[in-house]
Amino acid sequence: MKVSHKWLQTYFDAKIPDADTLADLFAMHSFEVEGVEDIKNTDGSADSVLDIKVLPDRAHYALSHKGIADEISFLTDMLPKKRYVEALSANADHCPIVKLENDKFCRRYIARCIEINSKAGLPPVAVPKAGLPAVALAKAGSNNFSAYLKSALESIGQRSINPIVDITNYVMYDIGQPLHAFDADKVKGPITVRSAKEGEKIVLLDGREIILTSDDNVIADEDGPLVIAGAKGGKRAEVSESTKRIIIESANFDPTAVRRTSTKYDIRSDSSKRFENEITPELAIHGMNNACALIKERYPNAVFGPIVDEYQHKSKDVIVDFDPAYVKERLGIEVPADTIKNILMKMNMGVVAKGNIWSLTIPHERLDLRIREDIVEEIGRVYGYEKIAGKLPAKATTDPITELNFSVSERLKNILTGIGFSEVSLYSLVEKGDIETLKPLAKDKAFIRKNLTEGILSCVHKNVLNADLLGLDSIKIFEIGRVFTHNQENVVLSLGSAQVKKMKGVNGGVIIENAIKEIFARLNIGLSVPKIISQNQSYACEIDLSEILSLVRSVSNTGSKSSSVTSTSAIDLEFKALSDKRYTKYSQYPFIVRDIAVFVPESIDSNGVWNTIEGAIKSADASDLLVRHLLFDTFKKEGKVSYAFRMVFQSMDRTLTDDEVSKVMNAINVSIKKEGWEVR
Amino acid sequence: MSNTEMLGDKKIGSLHPITQIVREIYGTFRDLGFEIADGPELEDEFHNFDALNVPHDHPARDMQDTFWIKKDANESKQHVLRTHTSSVQIRYLEAHKPPVRIIVPGKVYRNEATDATHEAQFHQIEALYVDKNVSLAHLKGVLELMFRKIFGDDVEIRFRPSFFPFVEPGVEVDMRWKGRWLEMGGAGLVHPEVFKAVKLDPNEWQGFAFGFGIDRLVMLKFGIDDIRSLYNGDLRLINQF
Repeated sequence: MKVSHKWLQTYFDAKIPDADTLADLFAMHSFEVEGVEDIKNTDGSADSVLDIKVLPDRAHYALSHKGIADEISFLTDMLPKKRYVEALSANADHCPIVKLENDKFCRRYIARCIEINSKAGLPPVAVPKAGLPAVALAKAGSNNFSAYLKSALESIGQRSINPIVDITNYVMYDIGQPLHAFDADKVKGPITVRSAKEGEKIVLLDGREIILTSDDNVIADEDGPLVIAGAKGGKRAEVSESTKRIIIESANFDPTAVRRTSTKYDIRSDSSKRFENEITPELAIHGMNNACALIKERYPNAVFGPIVDEYQHKSKDVIVDFDPAYVKERLGIEVPADTIKNILMKMNMGVVAKGNIWSLTIPHERLDLRIREDIVEEIGRVYGYEKIAGKLPAKATTDPITELNFSVSERLKNILTGIGFSEVSLYSLVEKGDIETLKPLAKDKAFIRKNLTEGILSCVHKNVLNADLLGLDSIKIFEIGRVFTHNQENVVLSLGSAQVKKMKGVNGGVIIENAIKEIFARLNIGLSVPKIISQNQSYACEIDLSEILSLVRSVSNTGSKSSSVTSTSAIDLEFKALSDKRYTKYSQYPFIVRDIAVFVPESIDSNGVWNTIEGAIKSADASDLLVRHLLFDTFKKEGKVSYAFRMVFQSMDRTLTDDEVSKVMNAINVSIKKEGWEVR
Repeated sequence: MSNTEMLGDKKIGSLHPITQIVREIYGTFRDLGFEIADGPELEDEFHNFDALNVPHDHPARDMQDTFWIKKDANESKQHVLRTHTSSVQIRYLEAHKPPVRIIVPGKVYRNEATDATHEAQFHQIEALYVDKNVSLAHLKGVLELMFRKIFGDDVEIRFRPSFFPFVEPGVEVDMRWKGRWLEMGGAGLVHPEVFKAVKLDPNEWQGFAFGFGIDRLVMLKFGIDDIRSLYNGDLRLINQF
């Protein structure tokens, strides 16, 4: 929600802290502030706009400038000025007939007829005089009422529409009460708040036609719906430049029903947002009175009819019994009783002590304050959470038991990494499966995976392409994760492998088979090797963890002491200390591999050869490009040794060309020959 | 690149960085008497929302973008991909009598556009502590311990007011590390409605809970700048650890 600093200032005589100071104050004590922007208003004056993230608990009272001004008063010693004005007395008889068919949905409905001017067309601009909230406007440095409203609305990103609509919007952003204005001459017969009829149509202000169903609620006249209650106005009785008589509505609707309808038709508006979050019906009269005062300011000749106020079930005072000792119990720090009381009184709560218990009368707008925990939060945040010192809970009376699922998973991870397998974590949202999401992020992510092997296979394949860069002869990976079928969710272990460097009798399948045998041996269980599938020389298989678990459990039940996993005592799991390693970003560009075999006398070792090669690379200014080198073959023949090196070249910022690398290789060749060695 | 590597075979595989952080946190909490717990990733609406004091048609539901699951014709319950590990609070309390000390590492899902800091799937670690006398000071104490174990003894933590329907008071936890305050996750004291949902007496039991994104901890700890690189299975990242 956008909040204008200048607008907030109209609540106080004394100067309020600047926007950045307020933002810091709110961040630590009230709500997150997503940004502070310095702007120039349309009237040329400077302003700052705070973007405040009001969460649902505080949305009952804080979705308005008044709510934020009150918040300033909770956190400082500043007192805000009174904002609500008295009702303007009626000087005409005309009064709308209002019928509430469902007082559970419509908790209060206030309406008033106003003839804005007897002459046709809109009257000339009025100059504001003393009177609330026009006083505030004048103090804000504006002598032109309409210009001020326009500038105030635009400061918070709202468009000025026409004087009447601007006034109703201004009141909503000012005190939080949504209002609606009808062109009274277009309303036929009584105004009825009722359920929509199945199939009934309404054309909204933006021209959209909505076909309503019976669980929607509308404000209607004899000819049908005028407004979708709480959410959006209709076109038919829209206020226009030629409007002479208006009906102002200030009502209160059931939050759940408004939310259901506004969600269904995707018509979230600033009005529906406030109703959805629930506001007190007590606010409605202030919305009406403040709007009328502003209309009078704008149209000094306006004629006001009597106020119609349908309010069957008046809001009752809410009392919360509160033991101030509870503050210490829950916050873990002592807050002096006087301080607690002071905070509560700043929040306009009535505080009456009855022995140890304080009886707190909650202000109507504070629908968030219903239980003692809510009160503790208010004390904690205003007093300052930073004053809480951390304290560890008392020691547990029993040793923790580690869930078998976790301990077996972690054991498996230790065994597998111990034999060279790396752990991956892949996407659960995939293209095919049994379980489908309703609104997928993308077509190829509409389902939840039903196996791990498919992901693992393609993951192996992707890594094979980088085998040289990774310096790997084989790719060996595993994942432990959930799979989902129609009726079940299972934890599964999947292994994947591919042999990259050709080796007789070895492929990914053999590697996996050996790994599984190793697992079974280490866990002391007997299980047959699951089916291994393959694709493009990549192999994978998966095992349901529950199968392993049940075997581990049965071993455990026989009382065998040979396997450490049989005990579920947490102490058994051995973890390495957390690495302090920092990640090095890898290059996004392709790499180039070159091999070189060098024949040298037996007296020269591999390091000696490499030093020469490295020196040549350095002199060719290519040290940055060499990302990896391996000695991959050695053999002796006739008193000489052959060392074969594989070198991987890659740049962090560009695609290397063959030419570039060939130049480096030439430099290496020259250096080797200089040593009197032979390149094979 | 100075030492010549001998053979292109990785003798010791790498643990995924998420596992490494989970293990570190687990170690810290095991010493405090916490157990590991878990629950389903495909969760019903009751455990993911209702029992956590997030009613139907309530604005609090907008706080998390949810993956709803297509219902079979014969299914009565509505399912979601769990949006948080907090659902396990309910599952655990339904099955276990307090006092309770658990941590819950696990995968969670949010239906939101992905970028370098947002992923549709990520990992959370949840903690739930239920006993007779539990305060925000205890929450702060264990969080300080946890963050100091991972990020060093000089980190500080602070609470800012926030809102999560299943805690009251609810706080956002920040960590000060290398001179900067970083937002780490939500926490608070267990809401009485949560106790009621699992048929415990809120006058008898109190608790704290927190839920933090493990991915964020991983990214900070190891200096990884893109959350998506944790889930593409690329050994160019994983094998560095």
